[in-house]
Amino acid sequence: MKRFLLVTLILILGISCFAADYYPKYSGKSTTITMWAWTSNENYSIEEFEKVYPNIKVKWENFDVHYEKAQTALSAGSGLPDVLMVEYSFAPQFMDLGAFQPINKWLDEKTFVELYGEAALGWCAADGQIYGTPQDSGALTMFYRKDLFDQYGLTVPKSMDEFIEQAKKFKQVAPSNLKYYAAPIGNVQWWIAQVWKAGGKLYDYHDGKWYIHFTNPVAKEVFATLGKCFDEGIFDLEMWWNADWFNSLNQGTTAVVENGAWFAEWLKYNAPESEGKWRVGIPPQWNPAKPTNAMLGGSGFYVTSHSKNPEAAALFVNWLNSHPTSLKCLHKYSNLPVMVSSRYEEVLDEVSGPDAFFGGQNIVESLWEAHHLVNTTFITLPISSNMDESLSLLIQQYVDGKIKRFADILPMWEKEVINTMKEFGYTNLVTGKLP
Amino acid sequence: MGYDTMNKKTNVKMDQVMIKKKKRNKKAVATIKAYLFLAPFLLLFATMVIYPIALGVKLSLYGQRGARMWYIGFQNFATILQDPKFWESLRIPLFLLLVQVPLMIFIATLIAFSYERLEKHGGSIFRFIYYLPYTIPGIVTGIIWSYIFSDGMSPFRPVLDLLGYSGTKILTRPHLPAILLVIILWAFTGYTAFVIYSALISIPKEFSEQAQLDGATFWQVAFKIKVPLLKGVFIPLFIFNAIGAIQVFNEPWMLKELVVLPSNYTPAMYIYNAAFAQGRFTYASAMGMILAVLTFLISFGVLRSAAKQMLTE
Repeated sequence: MKRFLLVTLILILGISCFAADYYPKYSGKSTTITMWAWTSNENYSIEEFEKVYPNIKVKWENFDVHYEKAQTALSAGSGLPDVLMVEYSFAPQFMDLGAFQPINKWLDEKTFVELYGEAALGWCAADGQIYGTPQDSGALTMFYRKDLFDQYGLTVPKSMDEFIEQAKKFKQVAPSNLKYYAAPIGNVQWWIAQVWKAGGKLYDYHDGKWYIHFTNPVAKEVFATLGKCFDEGIFDLEMWWNADWFNSLNQGTTAVVENGAWFAEWLKYNAPESEGKWRVGIPPQWNPAKPTNAMLGGSGFYVTSHSKNPEAAALFVNWLNSHPTSLKCLHKYSNLPVMVSSRYEEVLDEVSGPDAFFGGQNIVESLWEAHHLVNTTFITLPISSNMDESLSLLIQQYVDGKIKRFADILPMWEKEVINTMKEFGYTNLVTGKLP
Repeated sequence: MGYDTMNKKTNVKMDQVMIKKKKRNKKAVATIKAYLFLAPFLLLFATMVIYPIALGVKLSLYGQRGARMWYIGFQNFATILQDPKFWESLRIPLFLLLVQVPLMIFIATLIAFSYERLEKHGGSIFRFIYYLPYTIPGIVTGIIWSYIFSDGMSPFRPVLDLLGYSGTKILTRPHLPAILLVIILWAFTGYTAFVIYSALISIPKEFSEQAQLDGATFWQVAFKIKVPLLKGVFIPLFIFNAIGAIQVFNEPWMLKELVVLPSNYTPAMYIYNAAFAQGRFTYASAMGMILAVLTFLISFGVLRSAAKQMLTE
C-alpha cells in the first residue's frame, strides 16, 4: 500500500512537473491583456485560462480580419493589442515590420516543438525567435460531392494520375455546366499549397536571406501537369469566396474542391442545402508511396511588440493553443475542426464522431490524418498580398485568353515577385536556388 | 464764439466719438457673436479637415517602414512620378471623364427636358423614380450590380442561354469599363437630370414663348435657346462629376469580388491598398497629394475655359 501511494505520489508530482514545464507560473503583477481574433467564441477558452491564471485577465476584441487595422496601428507606433491573430502566410510580413516580440523566455524551442511540431516553427518563428503559437490547421483537404461521384460512377482518387483520369471521365459523361475540379483565380496560398503538397516550395528564408526559385523542377512539374488540364478544359478556373461561388457549392455544380481543413465549417455555413452530400479525404498524391501534404491558411496567435506584458501574453498564447481544455473549447465553440498542437491527440476521441453534414463521416479523424501528412515547411515571403495580386492578375489574363499556356504563368509570376521584393527594398535576395 | 457754443461743439464731438465707439463695440460684439455661432463648425473644420490635410502633407515627406519614419523631402513624389502603376491607375478616371461624364450630362439634359414636357402628366413621379438610385449608398449599388452581372446568378443568364451564349462570361476584365459606365450612369443620371431641371424651370418663359411664336419646335427651343442658358449649371456639374470620376472607388471595389482587379485599378484603390494592404502610408499620402493637385488643375482648367468663353460672348 505504501509503495502504491509512493508511486502515485511520484506520478502525480511527475505529471505536475511535466505540466509545469509546458505552462510556467506567472511571476508578474495582476494584469489585463488584450487580443484581436476573428475566430468565433474564443471567450470559452479565455474563461478556462483565467481560472488557471487568476492574475491574468484577457480582453478579447473581434474586428473580423484586422490586417488593415493592425497595419495602421503598427505604422502609428502604438495601438496593437498584446496578442494578434495572423494567418501563417501573413506572419512573416508582420515579423518583418517589427510587429511581434520573441517569447522564447517563456516558451523555448524544445517545448514549442514538443507541443506544436517542428514544421510549425516555419509559421511562428524566424531566426530562432519564437513569436507566437499556431492555433488551427490549414492542412490541405479534398472535399468531394459523393452524390456526383455516385451518379457518374467515379471513385475517390488516391493519386494525381487517378485524379486526372477521373476528371476526364467526368467531363465526358456529365453535362457541360458541371465542373469536376475548379481552381481559384488568385488565392496565392492555394497555389503555393499545390507545390507544397508535391513536396516542393517556391521560396524560403535561411540565415538572413530570402531565397526565390519558382522555376524549380517540382514547381514546374506541378504547373505543367495542372496547366495541361486547364489548357485542355478538364479542370476549370473560377473566382472563389463570392456569393456566386458559394451558390455553386450549394447547388453542387463542382465535384471536388481542395481547401484547408477549416473549410469544413465554411461549407456548413455557406452551403447549408448541400448537407449530407459532401465527404472529405486526403488530397490526391503526386507520389502515393510517399504521401505528403501542405498547409493552406490556418492562423497563429502572436505576441506583439506593443505588448507591455509579454510574459502574460506568452503564457496565454501557449495555454490557449495547446492545453487540452482550451483545445476542446476551440473545437466545440469556435468550430475549428483540427488544431496544430500535438496535444490535440489527447482530446481527439472526445471531439471526433460522425458529422451529419458530411453524411455521418468522422471528419475530424480524416482531417487530423491530413494534418499529419504535412511534413515539410518553409517561411513565406513577407509580401503576401503582393504575391497574391501578381498571380491573380496573371491567371485572370490566362482566363481572358491573353496568356495561351497556363504553365507559362510560373516564370512570369517569379519575375513579378522578384521585382516586388526589390521594390520593397529587400537586398538580401538569392534567386535561382533554394537553401 | 461764446464759451457755450464751444462747449457744445466739443460736446457734439464727444458724442460722435461715443457713438462711433458704441458702434464699434456693437460691431465687435456682433463679430464675436458670429464667431461663437461658427465655433462648432470651425472647430470641426480645423480638426477634421485642416489638421488631416496638414498631417497628410507632412507624412508625404517621410519614408516609412513599419513604425519607423524618417524625413526624405520630396523623394516620395519623385518616385510616384516614375511609378507606372500610379499613372496606369488614371486610365479608368480618364475614361469616365471623357465618356461617362459628357454622356451622363447629355442624357440627363434630355431627361430634364422630358420632365419639363411631362410637367402636367406625372413628371414629378418620374423625377422621384429617377432620383431614387442616387439615394442608395455606392457600396450597396456595387453589391447589387455585382449580382446582376455575376455568372451564376445574373437575371440575364437565362436570356443569354436562350440566345446561345451559355458559355460567355458577363463579368470579365475587358467588360469592366462598360459595366462601370452602366452602374455609374444608373446611379447618378437621375440626380443630374434633377439639377438640370431645376435650372431649366428658372429660365424665364418669355425666351421660349417668343421662339415658339416664330414657329420653333419644342426640341429646337430646347437645344437652340435653353441649352446655352444652362451653361451656368453644366460647369459645376462637370466639375463635380470630374472629381467623382477621379476618385472612383466604391463600384470597382465591390466588383473585384467577382473579377480579379489590380490593386491600382483606380487611383483611389491604389492609395487605399498602398496604405492599408501594404502599410506604405507615407507613399499613399504623397499619392493623395498628387491626386488632389490633379483634381484641382482639372477643375481650374474647366472654370478658366468657361470664364473665357463667357467673356468672349
